[in-house]
Amino acid sequence: MRFTNIAQVAGRICRLFGAAFAAPTLVAAFYGEWSDIPGFVIGGILAGAIGQTLLRVSRGADDELRRIESLSVVSGVWMLFAMLCSIPYLWVGFGVIDALFEAMSGITATGATILTDFESPGRGLFFWRAMTQWIGGMGVIALVVAVLPRLAGEVRQLFFAEAPGPTEEKLAPQIRKTAVSLWRLYAGLTAAEVIALGLAGMPWFDAVCHAMTTLAAGGFSPHAQSIMGYDSALIEWIICLFMFLAGANFALQYRALLGRPGVLFRDDEFRAYAGIVALGAGSLALLLWAAEGDAAPLRRATFQVLSILTTTGYATTDFDLWNDRTKLVLLAVMFIGGCAGSAAGGPKVLRHMLVGRFTLLELRRTLHPRGVLPVKLGGKVVPDEVIRSVLVFFLFYVLTFAVCTAVVIGFGADLETAVTATTGTLGNIGPGFGDVGPMSSYAGLHPISKLTLIAAMWIGRLEVVTVLALLRFEVWTSAHWRGMES
Amino acid sequence: MHIIIIGGGAIGYPLAKALGAAHDVFVVDSDPLVGERFADADVEFVAGSGANPDVLRRAGVERCELLIAAAQLDEVNIVACALGSRLGASKTICFATREDLLVGAADGLYGHFGIDELIWPEAELAADIERIIMAPGATDAEVFAGGRIELLEYQLDAASPLVGPAVASLDLPAGVVIIAVQHEHSTSIPRGETRLVAGDRVVLMGNRDGMTQLRALIAPGVGDAASQLVTIIGGGDVGYRLAQHLDRADGIRLCVIERDPARGEMLAATLSRALILQGDGTDLELLESEDIGRSDVLVSVIDNDERNLLASLLGRQLGVGKVITRVSKPSNHRLFERVGIDVALSARGAAVMSVVHQIDGGRASLLAILQEGQARVVELTVPAGLRPTAVKDLRLPRDSIIGTVLRGGEVIVPRGDHLIQQGDTLLVCCKDPAVRGVRDLFVRG
Repeated sequence: MRFTNIAQVAGRICRLFGAAFAAPTLVAAFYGEWSDIPGFVIGGILAGAIGQTLLRVSRGADDELRRIESLSVVSGVWMLFAMLCSIPYLWVGFGVIDALFEAMSGITATGATILTDFESPGRGLFFWRAMTQWIGGMGVIALVVAVLPRLAGEVRQLFFAEAPGPTEEKLAPQIRKTAVSLWRLYAGLTAAEVIALGLAGMPWFDAVCHAMTTLAAGGFSPHAQSIMGYDSALIEWIICLFMFLAGANFALQYRALLGRPGVLFRDDEFRAYAGIVALGAGSLALLLWAAEGDAAPLRRATFQVLSILTTTGYATTDFDLWNDRTKLVLLAVMFIGGCAGSAAGGPKVLRHMLVGRFTLLELRRTLHPRGVLPVKLGGKVVPDEVIRSVLVFFLFYVLTFAVCTAVVIGFGADLETAVTATTGTLGNIGPGFGDVGPMSSYAGLHPISKLTLIAAMWIGRLEVVTVLALLRFEVWTSAHWRGMES
Repeated sequence: MHIIIIGGGAIGYPLAKALGAAHDVFVVDSDPLVGERFADADVEFVAGSGANPDVLRRAGVERCELLIAAAQLDEVNIVACALGSRLGASKTICFATREDLLVGAADGLYGHFGIDELIWPEAELAADIERIIMAPGATDAEVFAGGRIELLEYQLDAASPLVGPAVASLDLPAGVVIIAVQHEHSTSIPRGETRLVAGDRVVLMGNRDGMTQLRALIAPGVGDAASQLVTIIGGGDVGYRLAQHLDRADGIRLCVIERDPARGEMLAATLSRALILQGDGTDLELLESEDIGRSDVLVSVIDNDERNLLASLLGRQLGVGKVITRVSKPSNHRLFERVGIDVALSARGAAVMSVVHQIDGGRASLLAILQEGQARVVELTVPAGLRPTAVKDLRLPRDSIIGTVLRGGEVIVPRGDHLIQQGDTLLVCCKDPAVRGVRDLFVRG
C-alpha cells in the first residue's frame, strides 16, 4: 500500500469538500446567526488546508491505485469528512465525542442523534446537519466524480467501493456520466419534495431540511418531535412517497424516467421491495389496530415501516411505546434495508434475495448432486464471486453486530437498547428502541459505546468489507511513502 | 422444374435422389468423386465450385427455378445464393451449419444476399421432436394449415379401443379420420371393412378438437402433453434448441443431461425452468440416481450414434415411456427402431423433408411423408369450373383417401356424400404409386 497515491487522491477530494462549508455559512448569515459562522469558516479552511497539504506531500505519485489503495482512500476520506463535519458542532459547544457522533451520523445518513436541546442551535447548524446527510446519502465520492472533470486513480474502483449493493450498475460507459445522471435525479427529486412539502404547509426552511434528509434516507429533523411535530396527514403521505423512492434503486428510476416505466416492475428487486413495504405496512397496521384501535393505523404503519425499511429513521409516533409484537415488525425490517443502488443503508433487499435463492438452490442440490444450479436474478446468472461477496458481507455484518452489541452492553446499556442501537447505527437507520427510541437520543450512552457506534455507522455505510479489509495485517506492514525523496 | 443443388454431400445427395425422378436436377460439386456417386442417379452432374458464376451458368442458372445451396461451408452457400439470384434463379434455399445465421434469416435480413429461405437442419430436427413430444403416445406428428389440421401416428396395443371392429363401425370422435394403416411393415389405405390388430401403426388426421378427444381416447393414461417429464440427453445444437422451446411450454418438466461443464453452465444460464445435470448420458449410475426412468419421454440427441443408442437403451431399460433418438448414419435408422427405440430421426432427413415438402408439384404439393415413405399427404386445390361433386363420385384412385377439406377457414372431414366444390383445398393421403393419379384428378376436369 502506497500512502503517496492515497494522499494524492484524498487531497483532491478533500480540497473540493471545503467548498461545501459555504452553504451553511450563507444560511447562517441569512438568518443573522453571526456567532455560528466561524465554525463553518474554520471547517472550510481546514478542509482546504488539509487537502492542499496532502497534495503537496504526495507530489510525484503516479495515477494508479491498487484495489486496497482505493478502499483506503474511500474509508479514509469518509472518516476524515466526519471529523471535518464535526467542527461546526464543536464550535457551538458539543463535546468531542458527541460532535463526532453527530457528524458521522450525518455524513453516513444514519440519523442517530445526541441532540436533546432543539431550541438553542441556530438554523445554519440545522441546515448543515441536513446537508451532510444529503451529500452522504448519494455518496461523497459520487459527488466528487460528478463535479471534478478528472479524478486521479481508478474511478471505477472508488465509485463502487462506496456505492451501496453487491453489484455494479452503470447508466453510461463512463462512470463520470453515470455519477452526473444520478446526482441530477437525486437533486431533482429533492427539489420536488421541497415544493411538495412547502405547498402542504410545512415552513420552507423545514421543507428544505426534510427533503434533503428524506432523499438521503438520513432522518435528521430540525423538529424535536420529528415528523410527528407537524401533525399533518398530507405531509406524512408526501414523505412516505419520497422515502419509498429514496429506498429504491436510483439507476432504475432514472431508466424509468427516460420513458420506460415498465422497467420498474420487471426488476426483481424492486418488486420484492414493493412487496415488503406492502406486507410490512399491512401487518403492522393490523397489529396497531388490534392493540390500540385508534384512527389512521394504516398511515402510521406505512410511514413507520418505510422509515425503518429505507433506513431513514423519521417518526410520526413514539413507536418505543408499542407492544413487543408490534415492535417486532419494525425490528424485522431493520435487518432488511432498502434496494441496492439507493440511498438506503442496511444489508439491502438484493443481498437477502441472493442469499435466499442461493440457500434454496443448495437444498435442491442435495436432491440433484450433479445439477448445474446457478443463482439467477432477472433471468441472468449471478457470478459466483458476487454470491461469495454477499455471504462474506453477511458474515462480517453479523460479526460486527455482535462485537458492537457486546461493547454497548458492557458499558451499561440494557439488552433492548444495545441491540437496537447497534442495528440502528450499523444499518444507518437512526433510532432504535428503549433508551435510543425515536423520541429520545443517543446522548445518554457511555462515551466508549458512542465511539463504538461511530465506527458501526462508518463500517455500515461503506458496507463492511471496504473498511474491514484494512484490518489485514500485511496492508500496514507493506505500507510506505514513495516519492518523498524527490 | 429446373433445380440446381450446390454440394452433393450428406444433404445434397438424398435431396437429389428424392427430387431427381420428377424434376431436372443439376448437382454442382467440385469433388469429382462425388460425381461418381451420382452416376446411377437420374441427375446431371456439373464439376466445379458453386461460388463460381461460370460453373453456375453451365448448370443453367438463368433458367433455374430453384437453387438449393447445400455445400459444407456456409460462406460458399451464401455466395452461391447471391450469385444465383443475380444470374436468374427465381428462388434460393440456403443451408446453414450455425444457429447464428438462422437468427438473421428469421428477422428477414438476408434479402440482399439473395437468400429466400435459410434452413438449419438441427432446427428442423428439433421442431420434429417437439411435435412428437407435444403429442404424447404418438410415434409421429405433423400439423398443417397453421395448426388447424393435425396428423398423428399411433402404434396400437391389444387394449386399444381401435382394435377389433371394422373401421367403418369404430366410434371415432367427430372430425377425425384414419388415413393409413401399417400392418407388418406394409402400408395400406384403410377401407370401411378393414380391421385393425395390435401392433398396427395407424395414421389419423382431423381438426384440432377432434384430435384432442382422440388423444384422450387412445392414450388415456398418458394424459396431457403439458404434464410430461422430458429428459434430454445431450445439450448440443438440437438438444439446446429443443430445450429452449420446451422450457417455454407450460407444465412440461424438463431435465437436460450435458457432459461438458461449460456448456452445462450456458444451458443453466439461458433456460429458466429446466434442471441441468452435468454428466454422461450413458452413465447408468447417474441415470438411476436421478430417476430418469420416471420420464415420460427420453430424447437422446448426442452427436454420436453409438452413444445415443446406448443412452436410449439404458433409458428404455429403466422404464421410460417413449424414447426418441437422433440417428446420423442412414444405415443405422432401421436398426434403431428394431431394437426398441420408438422414434429415430436424423437432422439431415428432417431438413431434406422440409425442402421436399416445399417444392411445388403443380397443383399437388407434398405436405408429409408417412411410414418410411410408403405413403404421403398431398395438398390439391379444386380448380374453378368444377361442379359440386360428392366425394364418392370423384373417382379417386385406389389407395388414396381425402383426409380433410379446407374451405375458407373451415376444416371439414368429409363423408362419402359430402360435396366438393371449386376453391376447396383437399388434403389427400395416398400410397406412392397413386400420387400421379391423384395429381391428375382435376387436370381434365
